[in-house]
Amino acid sequence: MRDVAVLGVGMHPWGKFPERSVTELCREAVVAALDDAGVSWSQIEAVTAASSRFSGGKGWGLNGNDIVEDMGSTGIPVYNMSAGCAAGGNAFNVGHTMVAGGAYDMVLVVGGEKMPKGFIQTSGVEEETDPEFLRQRCVGMPGPAFWALLCRQRMAEFGTTEEQLAKVAVKAHQIGTHNEYARFRKEFTLEQVLESNMVSDPLRLYEICPVSDGAAAAIICSADKARQIAAANPVWVAGSAVATARFDDGLPRGLAGVVPTGRTHHSEAAIAVEKALAQAGATPGDLDFVELQDNTVYYELAFPEDWGLCGPGEAEHLLESGETMPTGKMPINPSGGFLCFGEATTAMGVFQVCELTWQLRGDAGPRQVPDAKLGLAQTLGLGGNGTAVVLKR
Amino acid sequence: MTTEGTPVIEGLFSETADGPRLVGSRCTTCTTPYFPKSSLCHNPECTESKIEDASFGPLGTLWSSSIQNYPPPPPARYDEPYEPYALGVVDLADGLRVVGRMAVEDPASVQVGDRVELVLGPIYHEEDGTEAISWMFRPI
Repeated sequence: MRDVAVLGVGMHPWGKFPERSVTELCREAVVAALDDAGVSWSQIEAVTAASSRFSGGKGWGLNGNDIVEDMGSTGIPVYNMSAGCAAGGNAFNVGHTMVAGGAYDMVLVVGGEKMPKGFIQTSGVEEETDPEFLRQRCVGMPGPAFWALLCRQRMAEFGTTEEQLAKVAVKAHQIGTHNEYARFRKEFTLEQVLESNMVSDPLRLYEICPVSDGAAAAIICSADKARQIAAANPVWVAGSAVATARFDDGLPRGLAGVVPTGRTHHSEAAIAVEKALAQAGATPGDLDFVELQDNTVYYELAFPEDWGLCGPGEAEHLLESGETMPTGKMPINPSGGFLCFGEATTAMGVFQVCELTWQLRGDAGPRQVPDAKLGLAQTLGLGGNGTAVVLKR
Repeated sequence: MTTEGTPVIEGLFSETADGPRLVGSRCTTCTTPYFPKSSLCHNPECTESKIEDASFGPLGTLWSSSIQNYPPPPPARYDEPYEPYALGVVDLADGLRVVGRMAVEDPASVQVGDRVELVLGPIYHEEDGTEAISWMFRPI
């Protein structure tokens, strides 16, 4: 396998943009990434794109085709990757695999989405054979309830308090004020978070991410190509992995599962992270920072211990002692995370690659992780899809 | 508890002489329980899929719970005006971890670790007024 560089990245700000099409959002991100990489559209040999169920893509998730038509139809291959909220991470992995394997030298990875208002309808079908449909119709347990059930179990097991949950959101917004691409750029007090409406008890409105519009793009290429481009400032892919949930995952994804032995929660994320770290030849302790998928404050407490960044039940202490801030011992989400951006679901994995790249270049300004050399990003999505990428300077 | 209505989805539960049960299946090779029924064992460590009909319940322990504070989006259904309900994840004594609504007056009264039993009850009404029946769990 060949070494792969992230040559350039670009983003459209996250927010609500009713006057702009998803193609316009993607175009801005792609043009910024091409400019950052110092290459032209005609040099792109293939596109891996996150498929969206909510916007563009001709209703079939053909979002990469929209982008090629918009940028100029050069006849290049397009791979549209569907993996729920993990689609952006999945698109990066497929692009990486193809460049590393020698199929292409330069690939555009892109995700862009405009989300409908309100809470996401998790099941898109009305079929009695569909586990997600059965769970919604027979029980009524949408996405935030999934997070809430995991969170309540953690509270019972480790004694996590409502104040500690709220402190994750306070911390995220302290950082997010410094990110020009973030949707929410103001600080919240602990009281404001704790006074926000209960959405899915024990999770409050400011403790889950809203839906947003946004787009992100990355140009990845072979090491030889990267060296040919004089103005390039590449970072390098140390590991990239995709996984799906274990059979005995802790929380059933349909109506029921087995009672597992041991903690097997969010197994798709844990497996992907473990594989990506193994590829990188790195231990969790080698990581200088992490961008994890904080759809909810719960994940920021649960994931670090799943992945061996800290011991079980230690995340709350690290949060409260400031160690998860960009200047702490275990920086988490120096971008401000999904809590500050909201989720344009399928763009999130590419958004994380942008943040990793900026951090590793030392270009992250007031939210910079000091001397960042190795960073991890992770997504997970409907269907038990998980992805992880490790980038190095 | 009433079972005069019609099931939300047919074939997922039954009323027996010993009370309500979830209708599923089990692999006799590896003992993995399935709800709803499965025609194949999905356990990657199982050496041979041998599926038999099985029923599950009524007793279990609440692994976690939540309150659905806002009206869930489709395809969930609910009666107007919307009343928040409690959700549970229950470890049944027969090795099945299953999701369900909690049959309680006060959603906030539910506690992780509660001993619960399987019951049947309405979770919404059809347009003609018929109760739509699903499985639920009630603390004992």
